[in-house]
Amino acid sequence: MNRPPLPTRALLPLLAPFAGIFAAGLCLTALQSLGLFLPTASGGPTLEHYWAVLGSAAMRRSLAFTLYVSLVSALGSVSLGTALGYMVWKLPTRLRQAAVVYKVGLILPHVAVAFLVLLCFGQTGLLASLAHTLGLAPTPQDFPQILYAGDGLGMILAYMFKGTPFAMLMVLAVLFGFDTRLLQTAAMLGAGRLETFRRVTLPRLLPAMHSAFIILFLYAFGAFDIPFLLGESRPGMLSMRVYDIYFQKDLADRPQAMAILALMFAFTTLFTMVYNALARRVDDRGRKL
Amino acid sequence: MRHVATLVMLGVLFVLPVGVLLLQAGAPGWRYPDVLPPGLSWDGFAQALRNPGTMLAALGSSVAYSLATVALTVAMTLGPARFLARTSFRGKNLLEGLLLTPALVPAMTYSMGLHFAFIRLGLADSAVGVVLVLSIASYPYMLRSLTTACTHLGPDYRTCALNLGASPWQAFRQVELPLLLPALAAGGSVVFLVAFSEYFLVFLIGGGTVPSFTGYLFPVITSSNRGLGAMVTLIFLAVPVALFVTLELLLGGYFRKRGMR
Amino acid sequence: MPRHLILALLCLLSLAGVARAAEIDSMTHADMLAAARGTEVRWHMWGGGDQINAWVDGYVADEVGRRFGIKLVRVPMDASVFVNKLLTEKAAGKGTGTMDLLWINGENFKNARQAGLLYGPFLDRMPNFKAYFDPEASRFDFGFPVEGFEAPYGRAQFVFEYDSAKIKNPPRSFAELKAWILANPGRFTYPQPPDFTGSAFVRQVFYATTGGHGQYMQGLDAGLYAANAPKTWTWLNEVAPALWRQGKTYPKDAAALDTLFARGEIDMGMSYHPAHAQMKILEKTYPDTVRTFVMQEGTISNTHFTAVPFNAPNKAGAMVVADFLMSPEAQLSKYLPANWGDLPALDMKRLPADVAAAFAAVDLGAATLPADALATAAVPEIPAQYLELLEKDWEAHVLDR
Repeated sequence: MNRPPLPTRALLPLLAPFAGIFAAGLCLTALQSLGLFLPTASGGPTLEHYWAVLGSAAMRRSLAFTLYVSLVSALGSVSLGTALGYMVWKLPTRLRQAAVVYKVGLILPHVAVAFLVLLCFGQTGLLASLAHTLGLAPTPQDFPQILYAGDGLGMILAYMFKGTPFAMLMVLAVLFGFDTRLLQTAAMLGAGRLETFRRVTLPRLLPAMHSAFIILFLYAFGAFDIPFLLGESRPGMLSMRVYDIYFQKDLADRPQAMAILALMFAFTTLFTMVYNALARRVDDRGRKL
Repeated sequence: MRHVATLVMLGVLFVLPVGVLLLQAGAPGWRYPDVLPPGLSWDGFAQALRNPGTMLAALGSSVAYSLATVALTVAMTLGPARFLARTSFRGKNLLEGLLLTPALVPAMTYSMGLHFAFIRLGLADSAVGVVLVLSIASYPYMLRSLTTACTHLGPDYRTCALNLGASPWQAFRQVELPLLLPALAAGGSVVFLVAFSEYFLVFLIGGGTVPSFTGYLFPVITSSNRGLGAMVTLIFLAVPVALFVTLELLLGGYFRKRGMR
Repeated sequence: MPRHLILALLCLLSLAGVARAAEIDSMTHADMLAAARGTEVRWHMWGGGDQINAWVDGYVADEVGRRFGIKLVRVPMDASVFVNKLLTEKAAGKGTGTMDLLWINGENFKNARQAGLLYGPFLDRMPNFKAYFDPEASRFDFGFPVEGFEAPYGRAQFVFEYDSAKIKNPPRSFAELKAWILANPGRFTYPQPPDFTGSAFVRQVFYATTGGHGQYMQGLDAGLYAANAPKTWTWLNEVAPALWRQGKTYPKDAAALDTLFARGEIDMGMSYHPAHAQMKILEKTYPDTVRTFVMQEGTISNTHFTAVPFNAPNKAGAMVVADFLMSPEAQLSKYLPANWGDLPALDMKRLPADVAAAFAAVDLGAATLPADALATAAVPEIPAQYLELLEKDWEAHVLDR
């Protein structure tokens, strides 16, 4: 390690579990993907599992699908969350108390959100009942296929229901500490509402928005709960492929699951570094995650 | 009336779903194409309460390991957070970023590799293993909360107390700790929520031996029994809310007594 | 000398350990009852059927508690997951696990036996098996020899479900089914293999499109499979565009399929469990007009079992529970549609007259086909190797197309 020895002792309560559990876990995943440390002993290190994963068209489709779902849900959550956060901030103080209901989205676990999506958006769900009563969709088939339709819309809706309050939380944290004199100055200098937002408020919100986007994107990329309940057979999300191989298939296939996980980790790290570098360039402001 | 638009949106997005859950729990026979439930009945509750043992065991277990995770994360991060706030060294930013990665990286990537090692060490299928892995997944939130608070606090209060003759332990217990309580409560709330809502890690490392409320909820969600699903979801919502409200009341009283609020 | 004493003590203890292991092998049922009193038995089983769960948590737990002083803990876990878990535990050298009893059959049993994951043989010491069961009837599980390593629990037979209020004349053969699907797009689907029911449906199609089951009963014939399997994929791919969601996605498991059928999003359901529809009607999840039917090509039937893992911490308790499940009382309770409706695995001819009459008197409900209709249509399950090939190839030839 290149760090000077001094900080290590004070940081031990944290570094020990970090190294012993987190880093060790990652290493074991990587080693198992190479064919080592398996329950069934088999030969030396090999890259064949990586080639098997990268060469499979079905895997590539899963990767593209996973990226698509994560991107759309993260972008949607951040946009909606910022807009809602801004609108809440503009509320008079009395009404702002009422706005705390948005935390419901934060408290509900993903499992429960999946249930809500199933209840509301299924072809025999609440919205379908509403459409039926209004005469817009006399039979369940007339109601549009939102869930399990092959485009991940059910998962995107569920992720957005959880992601929007999260983005709101991060944006409101900045807004509530906002120096309103800046806004007054801008108004005095003749800026309209839109221009004030664009040139005064938004740049200060961007760090929080970037943080929220990365966190939500990477979470949707690797999460298990929502794809398990709302996911579709094909193309499946990457986490479902891993679950399938690890729990349902032969032990001999396990290195493939590990290979997918190792690649996912590499992607996560790479994405974070690249995004941070780009965001820093855009923001003109040093930021920590 | 922009405000009406905001309030309506908030209501539709966050209040309406809870209302729907309440109605569905009270009217298990509510199905397509009725927009409103045909009538409330206690059938759903009666059915669920027929064998409450399993559900209560799962709930108790979840609360227990979530609280244990909060305790462990505090133990892991309190000292380091104070240290990081008051020193600076080369590579500190990098280290802090590195320490936050367990919350960013998909939990599957490190937990599945870990599983085999845990079995060998006897940590799999045990609550200890579950608490360990949940702490790793959630300590970054506590770390961030405490580091921010410690940095914000600055070294002055502690220096003052030491100058006035307090021992380092006294300075910590009577000056720093009360000032850090809001951050501990905030971080603890997030850690509790993360641990309480987690399904995959408990399922993998717990292996079915450690009951979890999420594990209880999962098969109910996809079954055709909507009433039970709604009811269990409501309990899921109520537990953290109850805990947070209790925390708020306790801390509020504590701070008022000390004139801190 | 203290050191010699310690060594002697250690030797004695290790002998005791070895003796204990040998002890369980020589325990009679009476010994097991004594050893199991006051202990806990953890039963890992598929958790997707709430009626089944309620029956196990209610009747079974109460009875084993009352009769034997055993605390039964049901743990929901899919068979493939717990077999995988045992494999990992065996490789890690974990001599004492956490699972006492398993609900298992088919290819999961075969994989478990081939990897040495099960304790046994124990069936010969089970008094209820010796008294009421025909040993020939459950000698093979999906073509694989049981050899006393699992205890019969119940029997199942594959049936289709439909709402008689919506469909007047359900299809009677697979050719008619194909025509019906193509004429009613979006109204039919099947659970995604390797789900048990979905896999069974694929096997039904395999039997129907390749000329019946007889040719497969001798064990795996790779050439025969390679020649016949494509006919199955053709049938499935031809109906795929007319399936629910155009066959792009399939319901995750049988429970998801039930939900679709219950909500009216599809018009036909299927189940490996003849009284399933009646059970759902009693639960008020299905409308009263649901009925079941079988195809003229025959309907697959099988037996399902309970087994004990090699590293079960409480083998005696597990065997006591397994034996209780084979008792006439438990089999009768299981047979009632209000509880589960699962067909009894015991031999009616070996029961005393009044008990047999009690079984015959059970009202399976309007939705369940009578026992003789089911018996005439029954065909045996396919050897497990075919099953694994079918499941793997379904993914390659139908899903990933």
